[in-house]
Parts: sequence; C-alpha cells; structure tokens
Amino acid sequence: MMTLFEVRNVTYRYNSRQQRPSLDNITLDINEGRRTAILGANGAGKSTLFYHLNGIFKPKEGEVRYNGVPLDYDRNKLRELRNDICVVVQNPDEQIFSSTVESDVAFGPMSMGLPKEDVDERVESALDMVGMLDYRRRPSTQLSYGQRKRVSLAGALAVRPKVMILDEPTAGLDPQMAREVMELVDQMCCDGTTVILSTHDVDLVYSWAEEIIVLNHGELVYSGEPEEFFSDPEKTAFAGLCRPHTFSINSYVSEISGKEQTPYPRTNSQIVAKMAPEGSKGGSIRVVPTKDDMAPADFEGTVGVMGYYSKKTVLAKGIRYDYMFDALEMCMQDAVKGMDSLLYCDESMVNLAVDRIRSLERFGMKVEAIL
Amino acid sequence: MSKPYYNNPDAENLLEMRGVTYYYEGNKAPSLSDVSLTIKKGVKTAILGGNGAGKSTTFYHLNGVVKPAEGTVLYRDIPLKYKKKHRRELCSHVAVVLQNPDDQIFGQTVLADAEYGPMNIGLPKDEVQERARSALEQVGLWEKRDSNSLQLSYGQRKRLSLAGAIAMHPDVLIMDEPTAGLDPQMALELMELAEQLHHSGMDIVMSTHDVDLAYMWADEIHVLRRSEKIYSGKQEGFYSDRELAYSAGLLAPSMFQINTTLCGLRGIDPAPYPRTEPQLIAKMTPGADRGHLDIIKVEDAIDGSQVSELRGAGKIVGIYGTGTRKQITESGIGVDFIFGGFESCTSQVLKGRDAVIFCDPDCAEIMEKKAKELSEFGEPLDYSLS
Repeated sequence: MMTLFEVRNVTYRYNSRQQRPSLDNITLDINEGRRTAILGANGAGKSTLFYHLNGIFKPKEGEVRYNGVPLDYDRNKLRELRNDICVVVQNPDEQIFSSTVESDVAFGPMSMGLPKEDVDERVESALDMVGMLDYRRRPSTQLSYGQRKRVSLAGALAVRPKVMILDEPTAGLDPQMAREVMELVDQMCCDGTTVILSTHDVDLVYSWAEEIIVLNHGELVYSGEPEEFFSDPEKTAFAGLCRPHTFSINSYVSEISGKEQTPYPRTNSQIVAKMAPEGSKGGSIRVVPTKDDMAPADFEGTVGVMGYYSKKTVLAKGIRYDYMFDALEMCMQDAVKGMDSLLYCDESMVNLAVDRIRSLERFGMKVEAIL
Repeated sequence: MSKPYYNNPDAENLLEMRGVTYYYEGNKAPSLSDVSLTIKKGVKTAILGGNGAGKSTTFYHLNGVVKPAEGTVLYRDIPLKYKKKHRRELCSHVAVVLQNPDDQIFGQTVLADAEYGPMNIGLPKDEVQERARSALEQVGLWEKRDSNSLQLSYGQRKRLSLAGAIAMHPDVLIMDEPTAGLDPQMALELMELAEQLHHSGMDIVMSTHDVDLAYMWADEIHVLRRSEKIYSGKQEGFYSDRELAYSAGLLAPSMFQINTTLCGLRGIDPAPYPRTEPQLIAKMTPGADRGHLDIIKVEDAIDGSQVSELRGAGKIVGIYGTGTRKQITESGIGVDFIFGGFESCTSQVLKGRDAVIFCDPDCAEIMEKKAKELSEFGEPLDYSLS
C-alpha cells in the first residue's frame, strides 16, 4: 500500500492570539485507495486538517507531504495540486459560484485549461453521475439544498481528481439522498479515486471506512481500524462520540452469550447474519452487470439497482425494480431472510457487490452471489 | 389586557390541521397538499419526511406564521386567526426552534437574546430576567450569558436558540431538525433536555429525517411525502409497510430492521418492538444473568467520594439530567457515562454488572418509566430508586 499523505508534526493556529491551536502537533499517514474517515466532535479540527491536505492552509509548524514530496505553496504548484486533490466543503453555498448549474460544474475543468469539448464531456458525465443532468441550465440559486449539495459534488467529480476529500458529505441530507451520495462515494473508490471523508455520523463511518482518524480539540486521538477505537468506551466518549450501534449491540450480545466478538459486523445485514439461529439458510443474489443492450431479466424476486449508469439504464428501459437506493444492503437484508433477489450493477462495482455479499459467510450465513 | 382568544386549556387536541393546502409565492405546485393531522396533548410527536417533503412548511402553519391557502389550523380546537395580536398571543403558546440557529438569534449577548422573546410579549422586567436565567441554565449557557452570541460555537448557538424558545414558556415546543449538525454527544444531550422538558409538561413536536432518532423518541409520527401526508400513527405500522417507507425516501430504523428480521428467523413475535439498544439486547439474550440498577436522585450536591467508592466496588456509574451533568462537569467527578446514561448503564446491567444512575430529582420518574419499558423485553429489570 502506497502512502499518499504524510502529515508530520503539523500545528496550526487561525490567529496568533489563539491559545489552543486548531491542530496541535498532528502526525499521521493516509494511504492510497484506503477508505479513510476523519471523526471528531464539532470543532475538533476536521476541516482544518482537510485544508492542509490540499494546501489551502500552510502549517505554522510541521510539514505535509503528498506522494513523498513536501507541499509547495507556490501559486502555480498549488493549482497543479488541486487538479489532483479536490475538497468538497460541507456547505454547498461556499462552493457554488456560477449562475447556472453547468457553468458551475465547468469551473474546475476549465481552470485546468482543458479544450472545450473535454470540458463539456466532463460536465455532462459529472452531472449525470449525481443525477442532475436535467437541471444543467437552471440557475444555481433555484436549487434545493440537496440539489446544491449534489452540484458541488459534481464540480469536484468533473476535475477527476486522484483524491476526493468530502467534508460531511451527508449532513442535512435525508436517508435516501445520503445513501445515494454514499453509493457515489463507493463508485469513486471503485474507479480508483482515494476518498477521505469527515463526518460525525458514527454509524455511517463504521459501515464504510477501513481506517479512521479521530481528532479531539485539535489533537490526534486515534488512527487505525475502527474496532480498536470503539472498543475503548472512555476514549470514544472523550472524543465526543458514541459507539456505532452495530458495534455496541454485537459487543454486548456476544459477551452475554459467551461468543466471540469477532468478526465484527458493520452493517445491519451482517449483524443479523451473525445473530441468526444456526443453520438459517440465506437466499441468493444474482448480480447482473448492466449493459446498453440489456433485456429485463427473467426473474420473480425483488430487484435492486446499484450505480449511476445502472439507474439510468433501468429507468430508460422501464425495467421493473424495487430498490433504487441502498440497493445492495436491501438485497442483502432480503437474502438473510432467505429470499432471492437480483441486483443490476455497474460493471465497475460488480466486484465490490460480490465481495460484500460473500462477506456474510464470515458472519455465519451463506448467501450466494450468482454472477 | 384584552381577553385571550386562545383559551381552551382542557382540549385534548393540541394542534390540528384540516385539509391544509399551501403554495409558496410563484409556485404552481403546492408545498402542502390537503394535509390533515392531529397532534395530541402528552404524545411525543415527530414529523418525518425527506428533504423538501413539506416538514418546515407544516411547522410554519402550526405556529401561525403562514396562513394556509385552503383549510384550517387549530390550536386546542380553536381555529387560528392571523391578525397581529392573535399571532402574538399564539407565539407565547407555540414556539418554534428553527434548524439554523442563526435565523433565530437576535440579541447581541447571550442574555439579551434569551430575554428578547419574553420582553417582546410585554412581560414585566423581573419576570423577563427570571425566565431568561432559568432557560439559559437549562441549556447550560448561563455562565456564558455575557458572551457575544456571534462568538458561540454552532452547538452553543443551537442551544441558545432553544433557550430563547423555552423562555417563552410555551405549551408546545416545535423543533425543526433539532440534532442536525450536532455531534453525537451533543445530540444525546439535546434529546435528554427534550425529554426533561416534555416531562415538565411542555409538549414537544419534532421534525427530522433521522429515522433512528425519531424511533427512539416519538410515540407517534406523521409522515410527509412530496407535500402530501401519507401516514399518521405508531411507527411500527409505518415501517412494516416497507414499500411505503421506501417511497418516502426513508429507511426503516436499524433497531426495527434488525429486530423484525431476527424475530422472523428465530420464529418469535417481533412485538414488543425494541427501540433502544438495551431493549434489543434484552430481547435477544433471554435468561442471562443480569445485574442491579440503582437510581439515585441528586437532591443537593453529588458526593464525589460516594461515586469513587461505588466505582471502586466495580459498579458502573452514569448520570441523567441537565443539573446533574452540570455538577459533574464542573466538579470533575469521574463517572463512566455522562451521555446516554440510562441506555449505557442498563446495557451493562444486562451484561451482569451493577450500575448506578445519578439523576436530577425531576428525572426520577423518567428513569422509572424507562426501567419499566425495558422490563417488557425480557425478565423484569432489577432496580431500586432512592
């Protein structure tokens, strides 16, 4: 695994009168391709850390290295860096400048100096991914909060960065939109983008992240796999956080019934698989890679759709479906009940879907993934 | 002072909407379409729905800020009137806490802001001061009373806007997305405060799209989907209809999902439906050795040596209530759980540990109620109250 960012002894103050620095001697690594989440209470320093990764803030002390090279804060070098690393801030209004949706999304690729047809192509595909293509000529001011949030995400997608940094990507979004954004995040990961996100939604983090970085009052509290951190209730409480419910339920129920806590379930379907009576038989999930010339599958059970291309195709063809958001987890929940389902899935996400489905076996229930 | 218009204190219905339709200026599509719902006294009510479903518009109707295009809104069975004096009278009964605190904070200092509302309805100075003080104490901001309200953190501003509403001494407190933007502990703290206020007789209505939060808290829900009301009643009825919930952009709460699926597999009744972690744990581990729970009312000051003695003897110590929390944070007495005290302590009890909860005197009944509720999910919880 390649180390992408090396943050070394970074201290930052917004002004010199600040007694307690906003970042206090932070040292950590972020690895390429690793799903990394930054956790912490309000004011812990999450956003301040983000702005160090793309060079908006220059540390007062210490150093940030990207791909082994210390960041160069020269203007032109920074511009180059931002073609690699995009930050999407929590509040979309801080990021949307242009009058129409498409001109806003075009801002990034245009400032990269790309030819017009490339810019157009990128804008179109980014808006398509976030489901906002029909709104391309709308004034940005007429959009709802959720729509603005998606436009600001599209703006970053259009840059096609190597690293995507998302500050509270699901804050203020309803469950459906939040799941849609997280699916998009998964899609970016499958396409090879390294995604780093911050949130204080511990349940969301636990189901998604491979690695967590926990900050508290500007100090680094923890960096590593989530379980070790959440196993320490004092540390968790001290950081202003709570334990994810799947972690908590699993730890109590395992302890009471004298079973191993490992493997740790991170999603509802995994915890159900683990707590199901022995010998419960799981259903199967047929994973169908979506293609342009695809005909509706001959299938009776529930049908899920995962990935933006699959959504578009299934809707255009009028194919029957039951789950359009959070589809993989919904199908997995059907499977642990013993029901069979089918998942239309973007080609790039097939491996992810199959891996997750097969993970249920580790929790004691065999669910077949049929390709 | 003229005779009050809203004067029907014995009505069972607190707020009601009958066939309310509303259009925002310039919009052809209604933001609320023929919505009828009743919020009953003493029933913790949540309004659920996705972004743009009409939750906030509903709230603005309930406190009379917005007049429906069609239909009627009633407060304690009395139809709302929209003259200035009626609006002013209603706002001392029905207070709304907006999602974004900055839309609601007017005063320069924290104290001035908390005094703003009571002053505006023409209360005498003594009473204004007394109400502001007590409201700020409840939200834990009294010590910050002289601070500039602009310099507060987001969580503090959120609590300040709540204090402003509490200071109005409303019968009904309507909170729009009360936990949005708060970190997990602050969210727990706020929900605890809501519980305490509700217990003191203030009715609370909440809008949220956090289904897990609503499931833990609400007795009844009203669900909106694209400006229409699609469900009113108990939460289980709504989530049992998976398609309906999914069509509203909502997912069933985790507790509900895990419980119904596991009960199906184990061949047991999904009811009673666990809504909190300890309830689920109790239901899924019948017959295990449990510990004992002591609930101790903190009448004066917490005795730090008593706490360390208890912890030394292997007991888990948690707290509940704004007053007790204030004492603990100020005195620096070490306890195991400052937030989510009841749920955390009882989970330990289910595991066989003994636990003690120190709580505000007015929270003892809440603790007992929660203990009785938990007892429905397995063996009766062994607890004592002193």
